[in-house]
Amino acid sequence: MQPLEDLKAAIKEALPGLDFVIGWENGWNPLLATPLFMYSPEDVDKLTWGPFNVNNPATYLSGLKGKKIGVVVKGCDSRSVVQLLQEKLIRREDLTLFGMPCTGVVDATKIARKVGDLGMISGAKRTNGTLSVTTHEGSVDIPWEEAAADKCLSCQYPNAIISDHFKGDPLPPTLGRDPAAEQLAALEALAPAELFAHWKDAMDRCIRCYACRNACPMCVCRDHCIAQTRDPHWLSQDDTVKEKLMFQMIHSLHLAGRCTECGECQRACPVDIPILALRRKLNSVVKNLFDYQAGVDPSAVPPLFTFQVEEAKINERGW
Amino acid sequence: MESSMYLPEASLDAWLAELASSHELIVPRREGDAIVFGPYDPSVSPDISRDATAPPKSSVFPACEEIMRYTSVKDTDDLSKTLVHMEEVMPSGSRVVFGARPCGTRGFTVYDRVFDAPAMHDPYYVARRQSTLFVTLACSEAGSACFCHWVGSGPADASGSDVLLVPVKGGWLAEGVSDKGRELLSSPLLTPGEKYAGEAKAAKAKAMESLDSAADLKPAPEALLAVFDDMEFWNRMSAKCISCGACTYLCPTCYCFNITDENKGMEGSRLRTWDNCMSFQFTLEASGHNPRPTKAHRLKNRVGHKFSYYPGLHGGAIACCGCGRCIKSCPAGVDIRQIVLAAMDRAKASRQGNTTGEHA
Amino acid sequence: MSCSVNPYLPDMATVLETVQETPNIKTFRVRLDNPDRMAAFTFQPGQVGQLTSFGAGESTFVINSPPTRMDYLQFSVMRAGEVTSSLHGLKAGDKVGVRAPLGNHFPYESMKGKDVVFIGGGIGMAPLRTLLLFMLDNRKDYGSISLLYGARSPEDMAFRGELPEWLSRSDLNTVLTIDREAPGWEHRVGLIPNVLREMAPKAENCVAITCGPPIMIKFTLQALKELGFADDQIVTTLEKRMKCGVGLCGRCNIGGKYVCVDGPVFTYAQLKELPNEL
Repeated sequence: MQPLEDLKAAIKEALPGLDFVIGWENGWNPLLATPLFMYSPEDVDKLTWGPFNVNNPATYLSGLKGKKIGVVVKGCDSRSVVQLLQEKLIRREDLTLFGMPCTGVVDATKIARKVGDLGMISGAKRTNGTLSVTTHEGSVDIPWEEAAADKCLSCQYPNAIISDHFKGDPLPPTLGRDPAAEQLAALEALAPAELFAHWKDAMDRCIRCYACRNACPMCVCRDHCIAQTRDPHWLSQDDTVKEKLMFQMIHSLHLAGRCTECGECQRACPVDIPILALRRKLNSVVKNLFDYQAGVDPSAVPPLFTFQVEEAKINERGW
Repeated sequence: MESSMYLPEASLDAWLAELASSHELIVPRREGDAIVFGPYDPSVSPDISRDATAPPKSSVFPACEEIMRYTSVKDTDDLSKTLVHMEEVMPSGSRVVFGARPCGTRGFTVYDRVFDAPAMHDPYYVARRQSTLFVTLACSEAGSACFCHWVGSGPADASGSDVLLVPVKGGWLAEGVSDKGRELLSSPLLTPGEKYAGEAKAAKAKAMESLDSAADLKPAPEALLAVFDDMEFWNRMSAKCISCGACTYLCPTCYCFNITDENKGMEGSRLRTWDNCMSFQFTLEASGHNPRPTKAHRLKNRVGHKFSYYPGLHGGAIACCGCGRCIKSCPAGVDIRQIVLAAMDRAKASRQGNTTGEHA
Repeated sequence: MSCSVNPYLPDMATVLETVQETPNIKTFRVRLDNPDRMAAFTFQPGQVGQLTSFGAGESTFVINSPPTRMDYLQFSVMRAGEVTSSLHGLKAGDKVGVRAPLGNHFPYESMKGKDVVFIGGGIGMAPLRTLLLFMLDNRKDYGSISLLYGARSPEDMAFRGELPEWLSRSDLNTVLTIDREAPGWEHRVGLIPNVLREMAPKAENCVAITCGPPIMIKFTLQALKELGFADDQIVTTLEKRMKCGVGLCGRCNIGGKYVCVDGPVFTYAQLKELPNEL
């Protein structure tokens, strides 16, 4: 793949001026690439690009302050970078961004529904509209729409929004279904008691590992999260659904108008709780109120970082 | 009673119902896209199609347990004083855990050495452990994250189990491992299993063959101590770790815990909850000092505990059951096997480097 | 194990008396409510206990009264976090939980017939106090005993009520020091390691017991080495965040050693054997 070779060359060239460059390499499973920290040209040779580069490397950035970092980004990853820049949580001059056009990544959970144990997969290959997955029982062809991450089916930003080195021809937006929006609409249609029952049921299996929080590129309190502090003591260690859901509420509210819907929270959840819907809901509220989408315009001020005396869509006195 | 009985697949639900009538029965259940252990529901068959997402550890070591309650009351003799009443809370009842894989059950043997030892008798753990029986399901085939054979185990390891079910044609050969386990096999739903013995033996051998050759971890304890101060090594090993607790909470051998008081008005509970050694707050001291300040320090402690410190204290036993959950469920794809192997390589290289240096 | 059958269950105890030692250190004298448990309570100098402030939780403190004086158990608490702040709010008559004794103890048996020099900084005086008083109560068993106790200022000096007695004893050489000159201060001024060099205790047949903030320990070790003390002649106590106190919960281990059961007392020789994670 020529663009990937060009990208590797660009990274090798930039590497001497950087502490390291973050990208992806093959992981323990053919379906899942894993983040690669490139320190040397030999490391760069391991770089992969394609449907298995699921992780959002922007997650590491706020924890690497003071370093000169290169990051290889998909379009969606670049939105997280942009939002972090908008919030001044990282500095543009510390970053070198590398990009290629992205045609979508897999959703391992969807694939597990088709083939069972991911540990039994020995091969995976995408050819146009099909993902072929090999297990000891043989090969399964999965239509791409049923294997891809929801966000990829209607991706508006297949190319890095900002980059220093972009290799390959930019792709047009994908005009497919938006299953996450359909899921949210279905939840919104539920009566409050049914909706609560849905979350009660889903959150019951939460193990409180906080992978959702730590995988989130916008979750920057990290080591000082209120989930575990005693001062303030907002959450108890009691492992009830109430406490678990409360954490999701706090997380989601902190992400309102900041979440770029990269989906890492839900992907990271080891027990597959569909928590992205909560973030999507708050984003849709922000979109309706402020006509704002996170991480698409480096120069925009996020709506909850500013205020207007009279907000156009918030009816404060008219009632 | 025969020590091996045949359990036809068609009788499984009936046998489970029978077990559930005398014990609290805990089974792997499909919840959403995950498989987690929970109370048996007669209307839903357990999902034993693959190893559960979460191991059965909470059946003996719950994610949260109340260890005592306290209530504050005014002293009626002197209203300026407050008395506190304390009440111990002990687990009760008996449980059967059905459908764990050998690795998940074997994890409890790692706990037994520390929670039920001459020097320490943890009454909560011991009460549950002694009243919980494990009907374990031997694996037919290893997955790519499996490495039970690296840590001295295998796909039909019965350690920690009371009954081991080995898949044979049309059902399982149920092997009684403990006396209590053999009692579970007295059900009329099971028939003498002698004629399946050969098939079961072959199934075990086939499963073992599906594993790649095992790495030799004998040098690991010393190697991990040798690279202890090599922070460049640990920084690189931990670079992609996101410091969450998926690995520790899903690990059948991780047992770090927290103890906290949770108040509700004038009363409250002291809770023991799973804690996560990968968290910054785990070792953070009130002074602000933290002996494990970075994820590199914390990952080093996690790997070191399993493959060096624990074996050093417990006759070489590795505190890892090789189930691979930490690999499969890691959002960043951290592979503990690679870290242990890399530490052994690093220690070997530096030892050879030193030797060369001495000769020079 | 000398605590109750359930090692997690504290004994209910009553605060008999409190002493505000310094602006942020408060001493508690407590007695177990169950008279039989109190009568049967034994411990060795240097062992620690978990004190509960119900609702806030538990924290670890050395029992700083000596086992030779069993009218009460004494703990001195420096306010730092939630539990210690909550404990500071307690007064005589209030209830606390006590899980004790936990951990190892000072090697007082092997120190018999030897000279001893105590070097304490700030709250680090607390663990030294238990051994100091124990030795004074068994005075004939030990050679010369010296105490160097330092704090930032006179106000930061704990156990002030006892200092006149310690200073006046002929069988104890007490030296007090503060970091900077202060009005009315009649003792030494200077950092502990420097004052120690001036005191120049003889290393031969002597054991140094030191406890204090990490930076003080670091430079005190240097001074002791200069004075000829071997690694196994230097004894210190470690502090780590602890929860269970019984070697399980995973916080206080340094490699395979658990400070709560294998410590808190270590010789410098033992510390050097441990992985570097203090």
